[in-house]
Amino acid sequence: MVSQLTREYSQIHEQNATQVFYTSPWIPPEWIKTHGLKPRGVWFTKDPWLNSLPLASGVCAFAEAMVRFAEAQADSAVIFTSTCDQQRRGFDALTAADRSRAFLFNIPVVWQTPAASQAYRCEVERLGRFLQDLGGHVPSLKRLGKEMTRYGQDRARLLDVAQSYSSRQFAESIARFHWDGSLQLPSPSASALMNGVPLAIVGGPLSAAHWDLLDAIETMGGHVVLNATETGERTLLPAFASDHSADDPFNVLVRGYFENIVDVFQRPNTRLYSWLKKHMTARNIRGIILWHFTGCDLWRAEAQTLRETFGLPVLLLEADEKQFCSPRDVGRIEAFVEMLK
Amino acid sequence: MNAAPRKLSLDEWDDRYDELRCSGLSEPSYGGPLRRHVVQERDLRLQHLRYDNSPAALRLWNFLLTENERLHQARAKGDKIVGTMKDLGTIPVMAYSLPHVRAFYPDGAWWTPCLMECSDRLLHQAEAMGIDASFCPVRAMLSAFQNEEHFPCPDLLICSTGAVCDDFSAIAQRLENLGHQVFWWEIPRRRHPAPQESSCKLPGNLVAPRIQVDFVREELQRVRDALSKLAGQPLSDCALAEGIRTANQVRRLLSALRQMVYSSPGAPLPALEMLIAEMLAIHFCSDREETIAVLRELVAEAETRIRQEQFVIGADAVRVFWVNPVADLRAMNLLEEWGGRICGSDYMFTHALDLIPEDLPPLEALARTALADPMVGSVHDRAARIIHECRTFRAEAVVVSRIPGASHCAWEGAVIREAVRKELGVPAIEVEIPPVCDAMIPTLGSRLQALFETASARRQP
Repeated sequence: MVSQLTREYSQIHEQNATQVFYTSPWIPPEWIKTHGLKPRGVWFTKDPWLNSLPLASGVCAFAEAMVRFAEAQADSAVIFTSTCDQQRRGFDALTAADRSRAFLFNIPVVWQTPAASQAYRCEVERLGRFLQDLGGHVPSLKRLGKEMTRYGQDRARLLDVAQSYSSRQFAESIARFHWDGSLQLPSPSASALMNGVPLAIVGGPLSAAHWDLLDAIETMGGHVVLNATETGERTLLPAFASDHSADDPFNVLVRGYFENIVDVFQRPNTRLYSWLKKHMTARNIRGIILWHFTGCDLWRAEAQTLRETFGLPVLLLEADEKQFCSPRDVGRIEAFVEMLK
Repeated sequence: MNAAPRKLSLDEWDDRYDELRCSGLSEPSYGGPLRRHVVQERDLRLQHLRYDNSPAALRLWNFLLTENERLHQARAKGDKIVGTMKDLGTIPVMAYSLPHVRAFYPDGAWWTPCLMECSDRLLHQAEAMGIDASFCPVRAMLSAFQNEEHFPCPDLLICSTGAVCDDFSAIAQRLENLGHQVFWWEIPRRRHPAPQESSCKLPGNLVAPRIQVDFVREELQRVRDALSKLAGQPLSDCALAEGIRTANQVRRLLSALRQMVYSSPGAPLPALEMLIAEMLAIHFCSDREETIAVLRELVAEAETRIRQEQFVIGADAVRVFWVNPVADLRAMNLLEEWGGRICGSDYMFTHALDLIPEDLPPLEALARTALADPMVGSVHDRAARIIHECRTFRAEAVVVSRIPGASHCAWEGAVIREAVRKELGVPAIEVEIPPVCDAMIPTLGSRLQALFETASARRQP
C-alpha cells in the first residue's frame, strides 16, 4: 500500500515537474530526469520556429529561435551550451535581466586531456545544483543507474533500426527520444528500402521545422542513409561502458558522454571524421549534404574538408529563420541528386 | 627636428623624412622612409593613410611594417619561431621568457589585405581553400600559411580555443586539416562564480571561479611543456616571472600613453598610431625590447605635446570610445576627418593591457590574465568595462565596429549599445568596416557624422 502511494505520488510529481529544455545532445537527459525534472530536447518541437522574426545580420537562426523560445518559458528552464559563439552570446542576450532559469553548460572543446574530462564532470555537477535550485530533488545514484540503463537500451534499439525507416521517420524517432525519453517506433517504412542515391546529411540542429527537407531529398530520388545531424545517429551514444557492480553510475555517465561526443566544435575534430568515415564507408555514401544555419562558421568551414576527406560531392544547404525548404533549396537538391544518379 | 604636430600624407612624409635625415635623425636597423613599404612590399594602402609627423610615429610604423622581415631574419639567425593564435597576449609572454624564441600572431595577417589593398589575393585564395567571405577577414591567415609569402612557417603553432570566435576556431581547424599541426589549448567561457563557490580575482576587476583558473593553469602547463621542448630547455618559474615583469613594462608604458592621450583636452597622437601602439602589447611585434623603446619614444612625444599644448586633433572633436579593431586602418583616419577622436578603446585585447599579477606564481598569474580576455566572458562584463572607461575618459559617443563575418559581432553590438545608452546616455552606433572601406565611405561618413553631430548637440553650452 505504501509503495503504491509512493508510486502514485511520484507519478503526480513527474507530471507536474518542471520542463528543462536542452539545446545540445551532449547534455545528459538521464541526469535531468534523475533530479525529478522533465528533460526536453528542443529538436522535437516546432514552437521555437513559430512567428519567426527577421534575423539581425550574422545571427544564427537556431540560436535566435532558442533565445526567443527561452524568453517565452515562464515556468521552464533552458540549457544552452558554450560550444559556439552564437549560443554563448545568445545566452548573454537572454540573461541580461534574469539568469535564474537559464544555464550555460561549458562543454570542453579540447577533449584529449584529463583536465577536460574533469571539467565536463564539474559542469554536470554544477548542472545538478542548478536543477536542484529549480526544484529538482537530490539525485539518487540508484535511480541514475536505472535511467542510464533505460536510455542506453533505447539508444541501442534506435541504432539497430536506423536503416529500417525513412530518414524523416528516423529523425522524428530520435527527436522524440531526445524530447521525452520515449521510444516510439512506427511501422518500418517501405521507403527505407528504396533505391535512391545514398546520401549523408551532416550538420548541426535539424529540428521538426525542417524535416520536410528529408522528404524533399527522397522525393527527388535521394536516400538519406546516414543522418549525422543532431537528430541523427551521431547523437546516439554507444552503450555506457560499465561494470555496474563496481562503478559509480555518475562516473559512468560522465565518461560515457564525454568520451563519445562527436561534434564539429571539438579540437582537433578528428573524432567527427573518424565517426563519419566509419559510417560513410559502411553505407556506400555517394554524396554529402551539409546542413548548416546562416552564421554557423563551425559547420560551414567543414565543407571543403569533407570534400577532400571523402572525395565526394558536397552540397551546402543553409537554413535561416523560416521553416520548410525554400524553392531554391529544392532546386539545389534536385540538381545534386540528378548529378549523382 | 621639431615640427608642430600634424598629420601627413605619404608624399608629405617623403619630404619630412628627408628633412629629418638632414637634421641627424638616428634610426634603428629597420628604419627608413615609409615609401619603401609601398615600393618593396606593395603595401599600397599606405598611400591612402595619414600619419603623425613625429619621428616616434615613423619608428612605430617602420617597426610594424618590418615584422615579417624581422621574423625571417630571426629564423635565419637560428631563433625558434612560435606562431601563437587567438589568445592575444598570453602565450607570447611565455615564449619570450625563453632565449632565442620569438612568438608572433599569424592572426595579424588579417590586416594584409588592407595593407596591400587586396592585391595580395589572400582573401581569394582563402575562398579557394573553402573559407569564403562569410568568415572574418582573419581567413587571410590561411592563405598566408599556404603561400609562405608573408611570415615564416612557425616551428610550433599554438592556438587557443574554447570560448573563442567560431571563425577563428574553424579557420585554425582548416589550417590543421591542410597539414599544419596545431597545439590546441583551451580557455573556457568565463562565468561568474556561484554563491559560496571558491573564486579568484582577475585583472580588469573581474572574477572567475577557482576551478576555471585551475583549468586554464593546467592548460598553460601543457603549453609550457611544449615551449620547453621547442627551446630545448625548461621554461622555469624564474624565467617566466622575469618574462612577466618585462611584459608589464610594456603594459605600464601603454597604460601611461593611453592615460595621457585619451584624457588630454586635444589628441596629442592620432587614433591610428594609438591603435598600432596598443597592438604592440599582444606580442611585442616580434621584438620585446624594441617594443619598449618604441613606446618610450611615443610616451615622450605625447608628454612634450601635452606640455606644449600642441595637438593633432583639437579639443572640439567628439570624444569617441571605439569597440573592436577595424579591418581597414583608414577608418581611424576617417573618424578624425569627420570630427571625432579616440578617447578609449576596446580592440578585443584589453586583457593584454592590464598588468599581469607579479605576486602570484607565474602560471597562476598568466591563467588569470588569459581568463580576463574580454572575448571569453559575458558581453555584459565587456560592456561594464567599456562603460567604466567611457566615464574615465569622458567619452561622448561609442562606436561598435563590426568585423565582416565575425561570429561575435552578430550579438554583441546590440548588448553593448543598450548598456551604454542605459548607463551613460551617450549615443552609440554600429558600423561595419571591411578590409578596404573606400566603397563604404559615403555610408560610413553619414553614420559617423550623424553620431558626432548628435554627440556635439548634447554638450552643455
